[in-house]
Amino acid sequence: MSYKRAILLILLLSALVTLAVFTVPGLQEKAGVVPPQTIYTSAKDNNGIVKPCSNEHPDWRPAQVIEGVSIAAAPACEPDNPYDIVTSVKGTNNVSMATLMQTNFAQDALIMTDDLDHDGDPDVIHIKLEVVELNGATPDGDFLINTFDIAPGIQPGLWVYAPKARGMALKNFNSVVANPMLRAPSPVIRVEQGDKVYITLENTHYLPHTIHLHGVDHPWVNSKGEDNDGMEEHAVFPGKSHTYEIQPRHAGTMLYHCHVQTAQHFMMGLAGMFIVEENQPNNWLQTFNIGAGQVRHPSDAVKKSYNQEYDLHYQSVDKKLAKIIQDANDPRLIAERMSRDYNMTESFENYFMLNGHSFPYTLRDAMIIASDNEEIKLHIANLQRSAVAIHIHGHKATITALDGVEQPAAMQITRDVFDIAPAQRTDLNLQTKNDGLHSYGPGLWMFHDHVATGTTTDGMEPGGNMAILAYSYLLDEQGMPKMHDELFDQVFNKDYYAKKIAVWGEGAFAPLLGDAGLLAPNYLRILLFGLATGLLIGLLVFIRLAYKRKQKQ
Amino acid sequence: MKALLVGLMILGLNPLASAMNHGSMMMDEKGMIMNANPDTLPKDCIKISQNLDITIHAGQKNALKFTGKMFAFDQQEWNVKPCAKINITFINDDQIRHQLMIHGLPGYLYPEGMFHLELNGEGQLQASLIMPSLKKTYLVHCELPQHMEKGMKAQLKVDGGDGDLPSIPGLTKPVRADSYFVDWTPLSLSILVLSALLGCAIPFFILLNANRIKDFLIKLFNKIYSKNL
Repeated sequence: MSYKRAILLILLLSALVTLAVFTVPGLQEKAGVVPPQTIYTSAKDNNGIVKPCSNEHPDWRPAQVIEGVSIAAAPACEPDNPYDIVTSVKGTNNVSMATLMQTNFAQDALIMTDDLDHDGDPDVIHIKLEVVELNGATPDGDFLINTFDIAPGIQPGLWVYAPKARGMALKNFNSVVANPMLRAPSPVIRVEQGDKVYITLENTHYLPHTIHLHGVDHPWVNSKGEDNDGMEEHAVFPGKSHTYEIQPRHAGTMLYHCHVQTAQHFMMGLAGMFIVEENQPNNWLQTFNIGAGQVRHPSDAVKKSYNQEYDLHYQSVDKKLAKIIQDANDPRLIAERMSRDYNMTESFENYFMLNGHSFPYTLRDAMIIASDNEEIKLHIANLQRSAVAIHIHGHKATITALDGVEQPAAMQITRDVFDIAPAQRTDLNLQTKNDGLHSYGPGLWMFHDHVATGTTTDGMEPGGNMAILAYSYLLDEQGMPKMHDELFDQVFNKDYYAKKIAVWGEGAFAPLLGDAGLLAPNYLRILLFGLATGLLIGLLVFIRLAYKRKQKQ
Repeated sequence: MKALLVGLMILGLNPLASAMNHGSMMMDEKGMIMNANPDTLPKDCIKISQNLDITIHAGQKNALKFTGKMFAFDQQEWNVKPCAKINITFINDDQIRHQLMIHGLPGYLYPEGMFHLELNGEGQLQASLIMPSLKKTYLVHCELPQHMEKGMKAQLKVDGGDGDLPSIPGLTKPVRADSYFVDWTPLSLSILVLSALLGCAIPFFILLNANRIKDFLIKLFNKIYSKNL
């Protein structure tokens, strides 16, 4: 090869390299004068839409009396089943078969007997709890079973304590949805101060669990001399049962939770509120408040001082932890992945729930529904991994008790953000007197955890534990807030929480704040780059071959 | 079940009493029996072909003979004749609730197509049912959350059944199987390396011995050819 030719070749090669470098087509490219058009991902175009309120049981909403038990009105979209309430008040042994049949309680779920102090109410209470897995795996296909949606399309694996049940765990034969008694959070349990309470854990789950009665007055061992503190070393294994015995001397808002592999099992949902009510004559308590929220049959002491009572259970989920039970069926794999592979010190909280639901499903059953000039008792429990800072818009409430201990008058602070550390409880008196301090007047006032993560669902806002303090006349006949139709169209949609829809993709500003479209491919550029690189490779191969042949000669 | 009970209530009957009258449901603290049928023949049966007593244990300890399960029945399959009467003794060996549900039965005899036994804890109960004549495989399971999924699943075959159900412990494959790590040892690794080396050597062997292979093939061909002639 002559010297001249070599120089020419080198020049050609450099020119090709330069051309290729300048024409590399990118995944992203700079737009010219006109950026891409707006894409309209209208919520109405897809099938992720969920009905805001299915309105299954309008007959459950009005105030009613069943078997002599008065049940307060519950205007919400999803009111508690009044037959569950009657059974929770009288016990499965004291209600009629007709009532029991309207519930999913086993016949031995709640046995209430013996008026020990002769004051008109039963004082020996036998409570049976099972452990239920929601959104669990199945070897029979790629679907989840006993599903419970915390928000549209969001089904994290969860564990809950549930009252001992009967019959089908699914809603019906053609469904994988759990029946309404099997839900998050673990039910609120109420007993009376001085009652002899026997809590039997019947471990229906495939991993060991216990019940630790956090803050509840309980002896360290039960009458048999066995574990009564629910500690890890006394785990109740699958198929086994264990009875914890208490006779609490002190009233207040306490907790119960699993103390086996506590960090993980607690975060999976095995934690609930345990409320010891003051001893009062003829005081028939609502032993279970399934799904927490409004107490439709408050205790005598509460009724004397308050118009209404609500249980607020704050809970969070790490989606990585929750997924472990959905990725395998073999209990050994689940045990290994949960206890050893998963590392709680490297965990995140992705879902934030109030009473088992994240916004917008909190609007169905986790609202506080008030009238003017009411005093409402709130029991708030923080069962999250992180602290909460609960803020109620338009209101300042007063702390009456901390961790189940009544605060002296001087310590009953009125404020608008309530910081509650993990496992702490705060009892509040929420007043709806429009005086510019306790209430700024009627409204659909949002209330939420003011920690920034708390109002998101895996980072999507509005979500998390956001709910509404609603003045009842601002709700429609299905218990949903009025004036929120546009928001409903947006958030009652699985695709919104799957992050497929622009936040402002509807309405007048959709062209301005909808999704930017894709750039059209620059075919000239693609062509040039392809030709340049192709020629370059071809030339190099050719040169190599020519060189080899020359050497052989 | 609810539909049935609501129906009964509309008739103004006490559900339990009437249910007992209808023989469709019995319930107490121990458990319940739904849709037992000791005497009504299915439409397609002229008479009961066999009177079979079956004892079924349910409990965690039955899962010990399988790997990767937590709950199980003591048997996973039963074979019966068409129109057989089965008298089931259901025994719960655990301290928790278990169920024995048989699905896919004719709805006119068994509401919702289901026969359902439930024990609230340790104990036993007895109930009978009469199978139709159809050649069919019926699902038998405990419907408590995760009990079937973790092993409490079996099948009842009439006249040999019409196939097998998936994920029955020790019997059939799951639809969605778990993945496990493979036990790689020095031996299995060296076999892998060795076979890779062998694979590499094959083309060289062929190239180096091309002539010999050719001769061999020609000889072989001739032999076969001459024999055939």
